[in-house]
Amino acid sequence: MPHYISVILDDERYEKIKGTPLEEKITYLFGGQLKSLIVEVPEEKSEKILKAFDKARIDSRGYIEDVPVAFRRAVFEEIAKAKSLDVIDKVLERLDDLVEAGKKEDEYIPPPEIE
Amino acid sequence: MPLIKTPPPHGGKLVDRVVKKREIAEKMIAGCPTFELKPTTLPDGTPIRHVYREIMSVCYGFFSPVEGSMVQNELERVLNERRLLSEWIFPYPILFDVSEEDYKALNVKEGDRLLLMLKGQPFATIDIEEIYKIDPVDVATRTFGTPEKNPEVVREPFNDKHPGYVIYKMHNPVIIAGKYTIVNEPKFKEPFDRFWFPPAKCREVIKNEKKWRTVIAHQTRNVPHVGHEMLMKCAAYTGDIEPCNGILVNAIIGAKRRGDYPDEAILEGHEAVNKYGYIKPERHMVTFTFWDMRYGNPIESLLHGVIRQNMGCTHHMFGRDHAAVGEYYDIYATQILWSEGIPSFGFEAPPNEVDYGLKIIPQNMAEFWYCPVCQEIAYSESCGHTDAKQKFSGSFLRGMVAEGVFPPRVVMRPEVYKQIVKWWKVYNYPFVNRRYLEMKNKELEIDLPAMEVPKA
Ligand SMILES: [Zn+2]
Repeated sequence: MPHYISVILDDERYEKIKGTPLEEKITYLFGGQLKSLIVEVPEEKSEKILKAFDKARIDSRGYIEDVPVAFRRAVFEEIAKAKSLDVIDKVLERLDDLVEAGKKEDEYIPPPEIE
Repeated sequence: MPLIKTPPPHGGKLVDRVVKKREIAEKMIAGCPTFELKPTTLPDGTPIRHVYREIMSVCYGFFSPVEGSMVQNELERVLNERRLLSEWIFPYPILFDVSEEDYKALNVKEGDRLLLMLKGQPFATIDIEEIYKIDPVDVATRTFGTPEKNPEVVREPFNDKHPGYVIYKMHNPVIIAGKYTIVNEPKFKEPFDRFWFPPAKCREVIKNEKKWRTVIAHQTRNVPHVGHEMLMKCAAYTGDIEPCNGILVNAIIGAKRRGDYPDEAILEGHEAVNKYGYIKPERHMVTFTFWDMRYGNPIESLLHGVIRQNMGCTHHMFGRDHAAVGEYYDIYATQILWSEGIPSFGFEAPPNEVDYGLKIIPQNMAEFWYCPVCQEIAYSESCGHTDAKQKFSGSFLRGMVAEGVFPPRVVMRPEVYKQIVKWWKVYNYPFVNRRYLEMKNKELEIDLPAMEVPKA
């Protein structure tokens, strides 16, 4: 069974894919209030992800969760670059760097700029 | 059916073992041998429990009728039948444990009074009734049960991945049993001071300020998302001739797992639910209990029943996977306990239908999800569009929070989210991490006024 990664689109990210074929693939959840793109991850690749990040897990809906922020950001960066959802191999090429970045996240994640 | 009234405290009377008069306290502690309280830690030094929290909960009456660290016969009775020697039901061993080395150095015996120090100041005494040894692994195993002995609800053997099992396993082997008495009342730090309603005080507020006749308790160890809010609102429709008048949120404050939210964000997040009118403050109030959570699902639910009955609640809501972690217990274990009992844990009937049992009324609840067909947050036992459900997933939300994405208001209220960010800025981290655990363990939630120990 494949697993999934949900990539949430806030306004800033939405601007970056607006007008591309990806726009049609947006999933609207919670009455349209939450926009996301869903990347399918074949099982052997999701195993690699789980192995790389010790907190990562598959939730009850089959989504890969509790992965580092750096990993999630990388998934979106690759999507925006390729204008496609077929990006998991590209992300896995960066896995070593993302593991390193993820380790720092045990200590510090910059807070968002809101009041 | 007659109107429901506030139940009596568990055991009939609230325990109050806090000495408020300085002169009396000084007389009590004069010349006592002293012992500085230490946290229970993992082999790598990570703090997982601080016994001071148990002493607070005992002395202020949250665990009534328990008055201190249990003697060996009582420990056995709790492990075998979940009952105290006084017959009243109680789920967990409450123990004051010290290492062999500390015991030797202390040189105390039965009949002595030991003064327990915290942050270098006198905090509480224990009047020693008995000193005995335990096998911590055996206590840990029997506390939570095994698939062989408790086949009704235990699905997997407990192991080092279960935080509650590890707390008992890491207990020291020497148990000093006896009643606790707080001799130097702690001062709470912000924001804990606002949410401190020990049972006697809580009952008074419910009766005289809030004027609630019926109150349903909500257990939490989380910042609330809208799924939790719907659970609270809908569970509160139970009652008698009208829905419950009040909703009492009681957060469990203590050592947390990495990845949980900081305690301060949990309390202020729940407070934001009433402050910004999602459930107005006339109907909703936020409190906490000190306890390093054991994640014991049905066993934990019994403790929750004890605490909230003592606080004056008439009802208690229980969700699926209540106070659970991993897949050690059946996901309905708590609901099985409260609807039919679990004989292997000593309950031939639900805990509120046995002699010397609880009087609080359970309200077992299923799930809430967003249904795009109903176009509303739907209850799983009502909505027939199961294939279309959009679940509120805590880990999904954590991912969104960490990424710095503002959650939509139908998932988490903006004012609640802002409490997460507020404490994120304080700790440079949105969740519990090792640094937070170490800092919390050193600073604790309280300070102690300076107090001299008079010579005998
Ligand atoms: Zn529906």
